[in-house]
This record gives sequence, structure tokens and C-alpha cells, in this order.
Amino acid sequence: MKSFFSSVKLTLALLIVIALAAVLGTVIPQQEAADTFTSRLSPGMVSVFQKLQLFDIYHSVWFMILMGLLSINLIVCSLNRLPASWKLFRGKSVLDEYDVFRDLPPEQTIMSERTRSDEASRLEGILKKNYRRVERKEAQKGVFLTGEKGNASYLGVYVIHFSILVILTGMIVGFFFGFDAYVSVAEGQSVDTVELKGGKGFKKLDFAVRCDRFTVEYYEDGTPKAYRSELTFTRNGNTIHQGAVLVNHPATVEGVRFYQASYGTVPSGDALIVVRKGRDRTHVMRIGAGQEFDLPGKEGRAKIIRVEGNFMRMGPAVKMQIQSAKRDVQFWVFQNIDEMEAAHPGLKEQVPIFDPGLFNPYVFSLITIQPRHYTGLQVNRDPGVPIVIGGSFLLVSGFMFVFFYSHRRVWIGVAQEGAKTKISIAGRSNKDRVGLDREISRLIGEIRKTGS
Amino acid sequence: MMIMINTTILSWVTFIYFVAFVCYFISAIRHTNLWGRVASVTVLVGLVAHTVGLIIRWVESYKMGIGHAPLSNFYESLIFFSWTIVLLYVVFEWRIKHRSLGVFVVPMAFLAMAFASLSPNINSRIQPLIPALQSNWLTSHVMTCFMGYAAFAIAFGLGCMYLLKSLDRNPAESSKSFLRYLPSSDSLDELIYQSVVLGFVFLSLGIITGSIWAHYAWGSYWSWDPKETWSLITWLIYAAMLHSRFVRGWRGKRMAVLAIIGFAAVIFTYLGVNYLPGLHSYLQS
Repeated sequence: MKSFFSSVKLTLALLIVIALAAVLGTVIPQQEAADTFTSRLSPGMVSVFQKLQLFDIYHSVWFMILMGLLSINLIVCSLNRLPASWKLFRGKSVLDEYDVFRDLPPEQTIMSERTRSDEASRLEGILKKNYRRVERKEAQKGVFLTGEKGNASYLGVYVIHFSILVILTGMIVGFFFGFDAYVSVAEGQSVDTVELKGGKGFKKLDFAVRCDRFTVEYYEDGTPKAYRSELTFTRNGNTIHQGAVLVNHPATVEGVRFYQASYGTVPSGDALIVVRKGRDRTHVMRIGAGQEFDLPGKEGRAKIIRVEGNFMRMGPAVKMQIQSAKRDVQFWVFQNIDEMEAAHPGLKEQVPIFDPGLFNPYVFSLITIQPRHYTGLQVNRDPGVPIVIGGSFLLVSGFMFVFFYSHRRVWIGVAQEGAKTKISIAGRSNKDRVGLDREISRLIGEIRKTGS
Repeated sequence: MMIMINTTILSWVTFIYFVAFVCYFISAIRHTNLWGRVASVTVLVGLVAHTVGLIIRWVESYKMGIGHAPLSNFYESLIFFSWTIVLLYVVFEWRIKHRSLGVFVVPMAFLAMAFASLSPNINSRIQPLIPALQSNWLTSHVMTCFMGYAAFAIAFGLGCMYLLKSLDRNPAESSKSFLRYLPSSDSLDELIYQSVVLGFVFLSLGIITGSIWAHYAWGSYWSWDPKETWSLITWLIYAAMLHSRFVRGWRGKRMAVLAIIGFAAVIFTYLGVNYLPGLHSYLQS
């Protein structure tokens, strides 16, 4: 069992199967998009697809099992190999005498006029400048110097594997402790319940969100420049947060994030009406269908019953109802009442419900009907995000260790040869031979330059 | 339509890259250093002009009052892709002191430029940034992704070279042929590995920056959108490739083939994903 999970063949197979599953998910319409696709399939096919969870591959049980297997495989492989890597990381670079200097290319030996001990101390100084760990060993044949760096590169792969597990953990935390919802809020409206995605019902928030205003800005050429929702968050009537939400600029309130996702207009819109009593009082108000207000002189209560953009092809109109102690009247207020009267003199008398002054002494007029927007907000909570970000940082730092550091060891042998001192330089690297060769020629250059 | 100075420069760059490719080709066929040097100078001139063109385009966007880095639409992405390919190629040529790679890589840069300039569906005008793209993450995300794509493009070129090289049955006899001019199989294998590593690190950075951006823009750092998914597929392919090398010791031909398969996934992530909704609408009709 352990050997099954510790095999790299399994790793490769899992990586490929997960990749293929991911491909499948981009070809078969997923989740909501699947609805139109299923109508093209036979019922038998649909049930097969549904049993295999092919309409929601990335959240299917078998995809989770694949990810779980990959995680186990990754843990077992890492634990299996860690002791050996730890040994390499801690290990001493024991020099097996002159073996490393055998078959050295001629450019890696230098003959010097100085004495052996002089050269040995000079070279030790050069190595100390370039390597983290330098050791000196006096042997019968001469002095051996060892320079070593980058042994942490053996551990980088474990950092990478660990970071993948951290990222997966963050995703699981988000899956279990977070939520993903949507809500649309009309201007002036306040809501505290959001609809969970994937038909999972509704969720009540600990606070309410009100849309004060929604605006769209445009560039000169007419393409949209900004979608902006002015939002106020309240609890028990107290404002706890206020601010604008734009695309790329979400708002965070008590760990819940609000994103600008969509917008639209409320069917009826708002009427901008003027209330005039005789000549002395004038009020302008913006009001939507179903809303009520007291008349300025408290003679009664007015209600907007309907708001119509083009009523009976006579332009914008609102239907009002006014209730007082004595009367209960309903009538239409047209925006174009002056033109209508000019075309049909005596209209108000013949059709009293077209008379905006039916409730004496008040006269109402409609200035315009303004579209009322609603803003579509995506509402999310994901406590796994910090974990995923931490994992990503670990991943990148692991890459640095694995790919851009290599364990490099350089040995210098200093031996007497006749009247001269022979310096031999050899090196080894666990990878990146090219880099090591370059480093050795640079070292030789330094030795020659400071030697003459 | 107003013809801008940057698009004029960039169409000249397309031509220069073509000339550079021809020079590399002649130098590879005739084994002459002179043509090789001409090719290197030409590609450098092209790169400098390309850089100037990109900077001018950037400045022009600010003069129009809609300033943003030239990384915001398909035209600009192709131009930038080509730029990263040539930039990385010049670095590789300088480091490996070998010019045969130019025969395989420079034409990719040329094709990307030509596609950007000539395709009737690609708008070369500077457009204002739509709200979804108005983010500081745009630049870092696009730059890291395309550096990754470019490194994989070079690995692809090297993979093709390796496979061609392995066609050479009698290395000793054909001393005059083009195949002898290619670097040794060992060094090609090492170069494939190095460029794949570079691409893999940049692709990872691209996915991470993209996720952070998505967290701010879409409300979720990962939402299995086709492009995200395909970038993950590409990442998995190269991850499998690196593991097979590290742990199972795969070398040579297998690596070359995987570099080519991986690049096919890169191209699909970049271009093919745009046709996926089309595939769906075909299924619906």
C-alpha cells in the first residue's frame, strides 16, 4: 500500500488524469450552463452524465478523490525522500583524497611560485569570500580546501510540496466555512438576505446593505468607464460602514466582501413630481410606485399607484390616489398634459381622471420619469484566502530554492611539485553543471589575478 | 481610421523579424558566420524598434487621456507576446553563443506580429480600459504570463531542434549538413530543461497574480473559468514533465516531445480558449 502511494508513476498518472478531467470540464458545459446543453441530450445520456457528475466536474466526488489521492501521494513521497535529502543537506563534503582532481582539464590547474602554505591561506581567503562553508584539511600530499554553498536546495522541493498542501487546505477551508452568494439591491432599497449560488437557498447577513445610488460613467467613445454603487451598511439602524463599490474595488464588511457584479433598471422607475397648492407652496419629490407621502398641508395622504413610461401612447404618466377624511380620489398625472389639452380642448372636464388638479386646491405635475437602477452584488466570505496566499508565497520561495540554487562544492588542492606549488581546482554540483563551470572559471580568474 | 505612429513602427518590426529569420536560415544552411552576425544585428534592431513602438503606444494612450500599459486587448497581447519571445531569444543567444535557435524561434515572433497586423478581426486601435481591466494587477499578471509563454515557446523551438537532430543517423558523415550546425543533443536537452523551468516559474507567478486579481475583481480567486482551467492544465503538463525528469530521469527525446505537447497547451490556453464558447454554441444549435 505504501509503495503504491510512494510511486512517482502514480504522481504522473494523477497529474495527467486531473489535467484530462479539467479538459473535460471546459468542453462539457458546467453548472448553470449545463441546463441548455441537457435539452440536446437524450434522457438516458442526461442521467448517465448526472450520475458521473459531469455537469459539475470540479466539485464532483471523483474529482475530490483524485485531489485527495494526489495529496496523499505527495505526502508519502515527500516523507519517503526527506531523510535522504536531510542527510545531503547536513552532510559533510568528505574529500576522497585526490580522486576529484583526476582527469582535470589543464585550465583547472595553476602553477605558482609561492610556497604551499602561502597559497593555501590566500586561497582559503578567496573561498571564504565566495562560499558559505569553507573547510581546510592538511594532508600528507598537500592542503585540501573545500568551499560549499546552496545545500538548502535539497529542501526546496519539500517547501514546494508543502505549499501545494497549504493551498489545498485553504481551498477546503473556503469550501466549508465560506459562502458564495448574490443579491440585487434597487436604489433606495435595503436588504439583509442574499441568495446562495448553485440553488443552495438564502442566507441572512448580520447587517443590512442599502444601495444609495448606482451610476455608470462612460468614455467619450461610449464604452463604459466605471460602474459604481454607493452602499451603506447598517445594523439596527446604525451605519457600520459606508462607501463606494466598483469593479476591482470590493468593500469588506465584517469579513464579508461585496463585489460589483452587474446592474440593471427597475421596471417602473421613479417619478419626479411637483406638488403645488394654490400659488404659495411648491414641493418637488422623487417617488416610486407603491410609495406614499403626506400632502404638505396635511389635508390627506397621497400614494403613487402606477408609474408608466408611455401610458396609452400619451407619454409618461403616474396614477395617484389621495385619501382624506372626506374624499378618496384617483387620477392620472401626465407629463404632456399641456400638449394634450391643446390638442383636445376641455379634456380635463370631459375626462376628470386625467385632471391633475382633481384634488383641490392641489395641482400635481409630472416633470419626468427617471429610470431607477438596481445594482447586482456578489457577496462572498472566504476565510481560506489568507491560507491560499501564504501557500502561494511558499510556492514561489520553494521555486527559488529548487530552480535557482544548486548545491555547489569546490575543492582546491595545494601541493608541492618540484620548486613550484600546484593548485588544482575541481567542483561538483547536484544540478546546473553549466553554472558551476562558469563559477569555476571565474574563481580561476580571481586566483590568477590576485596571484600575479 | 487614424493610423498611429506606433502601428507603423510595429509593422516595420514585423518585416525586420522576417528579414532576421531569413538571415538565420541562410546562416544555418551555408554555415557562414557573416550571415549569422547580420541576423543577430537585425534581430537586435527589431527588438529595439519593437520596444520603442511599445513605449510610443503607451505614451500615445496617455495623450488620448486613457493612459494604460499596452497590454489590454488581443492586438496588444500579440505584440507583447512577440516582444517577450524576441527578448528571451536574444538573452538565450547571448548565453549559449549559438544562432541556430533563431531559425526556430524568430519565425514565431514574426508570425505573432504578422497575425496582429494582418488579421481583419484584430483591432489595432488604442482602446480605453473597460472597468474589469482597471487594476494594478493587469501589468504584473500579463507580463508574468507572457514571459512564461515565451519561455515555453523557446522550449518548443529547442524541442523541434532536438527531434531534427535525432534524425541525423550518421553524425560523422554529414559534417556539412544543417543538422551538424545544431548544438549537441546533450546541450539541447539541458536548454529545454532550463527554458521549461523558467516558463514554469513565470506561469506559476502568472497564475498566482491572476488569482489575486480575480479575488479583487470577480470575488473568487479560482472560479474554473476556461482560461484559468487551461492555465492549470498547462501547469500540470509541465509539472509532470519536470517530475519525470527529476525523479524518473527522463531525458532527450521524451523531454523534447513533452516540450512540444506543453506548448500546444500554452497556445490553446492563449488562443484556443476563445473558441470554447463557440464550441458550446455549436452544440446548442
